[in-house]
Amino acid sequence: MTRAPLWLTIARKEFADALRSRMIWGIVVIIAVMTSLSASISLLVPDVEGGAEMAIGGASQFAGLLVPIMALIAAYLAIAGELESGSLKVILGLPPSRGEVLFGKFLGRSGVVAIGLALGFVVSGVVTAVLYGGLPVGAFVGTTLLTVLLGVSFVGIGIGISAVTATRSRAMTLAITAYLGLTLLWDLAPTVVHLLVTGEMPGGVVPAWLLLIQGVSPTGAYNALVQRLLLGSGTAVEARIGGSAPSYLDPAVFLGILFAWAVVPLLVGYSKFRQADLS
Amino acid sequence: MDTRSRASSDWGTPTDDEPVAIRTTGLTKRYGKDVLAVDDLDLTVYEGEIFGFLGPNGAGKSTTIDVIMDYVRPSAGSATVLGFDAQTETREIHERVGILPDGYGLYERLTGRKHLEYAIALKRSDDAVDDLLDRVGLDAAAADRVVGGYSKGMMQRLALAIALVGDPQLLILDEPSSGLDPNGVRLVREIARDHANRGKTVFFSSHILSQVEAVCDRVAILNRGRLVAIDSIDGLRDALGTGSTITLTVDAVPDSLTLVEIAGVSDVVVDGRIIRVSVDDAPAKVDVIDRIRDDGASILDVTIEESSLEDLFSAYTGDVPPRGNDAEADR
Repeated sequence: MTRAPLWLTIARKEFADALRSRMIWGIVVIIAVMTSLSASISLLVPDVEGGAEMAIGGASQFAGLLVPIMALIAAYLAIAGELESGSLKVILGLPPSRGEVLFGKFLGRSGVVAIGLALGFVVSGVVTAVLYGGLPVGAFVGTTLLTVLLGVSFVGIGIGISAVTATRSRAMTLAITAYLGLTLLWDLAPTVVHLLVTGEMPGGVVPAWLLLIQGVSPTGAYNALVQRLLLGSGTAVEARIGGSAPSYLDPAVFLGILFAWAVVPLLVGYSKFRQADLS
Repeated sequence: MDTRSRASSDWGTPTDDEPVAIRTTGLTKRYGKDVLAVDDLDLTVYEGEIFGFLGPNGAGKSTTIDVIMDYVRPSAGSATVLGFDAQTETREIHERVGILPDGYGLYERLTGRKHLEYAIALKRSDDAVDDLLDRVGLDAAAADRVVGGYSKGMMQRLALAIALVGDPQLLILDEPSSGLDPNGVRLVREIARDHANRGKTVFFSSHILSQVEAVCDRVAILNRGRLVAIDSIDGLRDALGTGSTITLTVDAVPDSLTLVEIAGVSDVVVDGRIIRVSVDDAPAKVDVIDRIRDDGASILDVTIEESSLEDLFSAYTGDVPPRGNDAEADR
């Protein structure tokens, strides 16, 4: 009998469930198709200057919108669904603690999302290589890893949501709110702040702090990192702010932000779930 | 009759130096401001006994079990299980306890076998899945199907098998008979008895007294969150007297019916030519028959019924509990 840690046993079961339900293949197919399509757009539209980097950039734009919703769907029912169905009582009647259940579910579902995204990107990488006659491997692998990290952040957010809600419907409401707020509405935040601070709309050259605000959401941090990776800091940062980049626009800051989005919602969820009455 | 006084009786109570399986002290659970689910409950269950935990639906049985299992946190008081604190030593408890919880669910997409393999891995036991299936009467073909297609009875058997994983020192069964046919109900009793014969403890909650009377060494009756009685079944019966009902069919009911004057008669109901007399005291039965003749009636027929445990139950709880098969209807 193996003596694997309980959270690992739980993570494995979560992963096996995702294989069984074919959720993981859904992620692979959607990501493969959509990123391949967006990678090939610059070939389909005439007069657009396009290289393989541009293609990867196009794919990442799409991934920035798609990955959060897929990761949230993969995670938002992890706890709330089992609480509503009553299977949580069976699992928590066995030795695992609430923390181990939460962590195991985060790990298992992160694995599902990460592997699904990576496989989907491999497909679009092959498509890109065929279409453009080559693939900048470093940029491609880097973008894939960043996309995986974005996915894991939203799994953390989804599990956190799942842990603070008692019903499926409430978990869904919160997940939709998180998606709209963090992915779509957040794009407006820098503009609104700029308008409030300076009294006018942002122009061609923007203040450096605007880029930081843009990058505080997980999707914003992801976009900032991918741009830096594909375009270099000259085009991605300095050209936009018209000067050298301050230290708070360092890539490490945005990496930290992405990690924080994975961990903080999980911890908040745990602190509530630990105290919750499960009936 | 003052039933409360029996709560402190020592009928059938083992002596205090025996190892304790479950002890609650002043246990109170409040939901919001208005709902007092468990009210200052002091309960001790000793190792090796089969303990029946009875009460109508909503009496607080499941809430008590929820606290014991750390599914919910008490508002006041405490609970220990096998000497461990229910809130701070949850892992130690869950490694030694098997539970069939109330309102549980299973994974629709997993087979019965996968469920058991998962439970065995999480409990780090070395049970053989087929032995567990055998004990609860699930055949191997059913175990290889997904639970989404199971009947209520099959789910109940599978959940029971999960509770048995790791041969727990304490088996907690919350309404284990719900959804089971008579064979299943008998199976639950056999499992409980078998478990106790191996020196383990069984804590068996039910709202149907007849399901626990055959196996339980002692029972506690809970009503509206409070303990109203704790005793052996015989002790409870004695506490309420013999409790027989005599049904007499007479040619004509006498005008001067003086049955109520007899010592030991607690109630007289006349329905046409039928007289029903409730008797607490055995010798009063003959007195009833003699008296009715003295009153001038001829007796055409007599039947005597001993009180059922359901009557006993309702005497304690003040409610009429559902009987046997009706129990399903209100779940």
